Amino acid sequence: MSKLERLLNLTAALLDTPRPLLIEEIRERVEGYPDGDDAFKRSFERDKDELRTMGIPVTLAPVPGTDPPREGYRVDRREYAGADPQLAADELAALHLAATFVRLDGVDGEDALRRLGGLVDTGVGAQGPVADLPTPPGLGPLFAAARDARAVTFGYGDDTRRLEPWTVTFAKGRWYVAGFDQVRGAERRFRVDRILGDVTDTGSAAEPRPSTRRDASRLAAWQMGDDEPVRALVAIDADQAPWATHHLGADAVVDTHDDGSVVVALDVTNREALRSFVLTFLEHAEILEPAELRDDMTRWLEARIR
Amino acid sequence: MSRFTSRERLNRLLAVIPWVVAQDGVALDDVAHRFGYPRDRLEADLLEVVQYVGVYPFTPDTLIEVEIVDDMVWIRYADWFTRPLRVDPAQAVALLAAGQSMLSITGDDDGPLLRGLTKLGAAMGAGDGTVPLQVRLGEGAEEVMAVLRQAVDEHRMVDIDHYVYSRDEWVQRRIEPSRFFADEGQWYVAAFCRRAEDQRVFRVDRIGSATLTDISFTPPDTPDATPVFSADDTTEVRLLLRPEAAWVADQYPNNGVTTRPDGSIEVAMPVTGRSWLERLLLRLGPSVEVLDSGWFDDRLTADAARRILARYR
Repeated sequence: MSKLERLLNLTAALLDTPRPLLIEEIRERVEGYPDGDDAFKRSFERDKDELRTMGIPVTLAPVPGTDPPREGYRVDRREYAGADPQLAADELAALHLAATFVRLDGVDGEDALRRLGGLVDTGVGAQGPVADLPTPPGLGPLFAAARDARAVTFGYGDDTRRLEPWTVTFAKGRWYVAGFDQVRGAERRFRVDRILGDVTDTGSAAEPRPSTRRDASRLAAWQMGDDEPVRALVAIDADQAPWATHHLGADAVVDTHDDGSVVVALDVTNREALRSFVLTFLEHAEILEPAELRDDMTRWLEARIR
Repeated sequence: MSRFTSRERLNRLLAVIPWVVAQDGVALDDVAHRFGYPRDRLEADLLEVVQYVGVYPFTPDTLIEVEIVDDMVWIRYADWFTRPLRVDPAQAVALLAAGQSMLSITGDDDGPLLRGLTKLGAAMGAGDGTVPLQVRLGEGAEEVMAVLRQAVDEHRMVDIDHYVYSRDEWVQRRIEPSRFFADEGQWYVAAFCRRAEDQRVFRVDRIGSATLTDISFTPPDTPDATPVFSADDTTEVRLLLRPEAAWVADQYPNNGVTTRPDGSIEVAMPVTGRSWLERLLLRLGPSVEVLDSGWFDDRLTADAARRILARYR
């Protein structure tokens, strides 16, 4: 009997059973294992690990009616299958094309699509990937925790953090996770690639997630601070206006002049960061209001002349 | 094919079996193509393996039934494999991230991608239908990205208005775009620049406008491996950074870093454009001292400060 057949039979047996199977029951019900207790055990252990590596949720649980209590193996059918998105052929094709353009390092997106109905071609010639995203080890567990409203712990710097993740975000070339920090009692954001060791599930999240989820990575530098909040008006010249409008969002623009220049309104809680941002435009931008920020800028510039 | 291991065949069959069951008769060639399963191998595995799979006591009524007639295949009684194995969280992130990214590039508001992504989100997102994932590969105007992608696909030249950040000036160029890609949070287009007569890489958010021409070009045979940052015409500038400005040494390419006993950092950096250096020095203010200004004059920071101050007077 081939190994493939044995693995398929083992999977079927574990899915079929309503209660966990003792190891000797597995030996009796699944053909193709070698004779000899040790040889069987080694072979079964390897098979079980292979199934788990593929993502098959093989669980170990107490077997009812055993005395002394013993544990056995099974696979819960609902856990095995997950929800079915029922993708149509054109939807599979569109996602297939997307998965060839944008890839996660070390993650087989095509494998996922096979499980969702197969690889459907779009007929569009491949241009090569447009982006390869890094895949830090914590990414999958953090996404699952955010999705299922679970709390997790992980090492970060010198600390162990306890977080109820809300969102994972890829921005500026990195993955971030934002959520409720149970120790600090407030929203916090972490770089996923700086997490040390495993992300461990610790149970259900206690804090309700915010209804309108703020995307912390979208916060501009001048919004990350504890200065007294103030609204700044900044004039930006025409040749820089399209970039600035795109970067800040059309909502930020409060005035557009005939020459193409714009005035943007920015809510500031970090004044130093605002100054840095305005300085990136050199002489193509100017703080109009409030007077204190305008004066702060002129003082700063005068100090550079000495 | 040695790479097609037992585990990989098992993995594929766990996707193949439920799909074939649901079709009620489908061509073997279709199955082979759709699941990337070599046709002969597939037929053999179905007839010689899957057909004998079942549960104890392996009487005919507990076995899967496989029927192949004239290249059509039916699978019945595969009760344990009526649903495919779930997609794991990292795979879910991969698909959702790919879909979201493509949507942001193509701006496709009403197509199969959005429909598929919505279904995926409902199946793989949180219970309330939201997806706790956001992906932004880079910044750039949608119109510009659409033109560049079309140009890459159709091998057509594009006229761009490009902002040279390091020199603070706008330059018109005609380019032959060969690749559109994201890296480190920015969109780029790799192209042959007819003005420079050389390969160049442009950051998309610094392209103010892009106009598609009707002129086609022959794309290079091999996708270029142009580095994003090419170091032509640079001068070396040496800076002394106070500890609070130490990030500069991490963030930008440099030719060497020395930490002084007081914690300040001496860094030698290749610099191309005057404007780039002006911005950096103005932002850092008292946290930086210029030890050697390379080919720039020593009054660089003061001159830039004066130009900006003129606006405020």
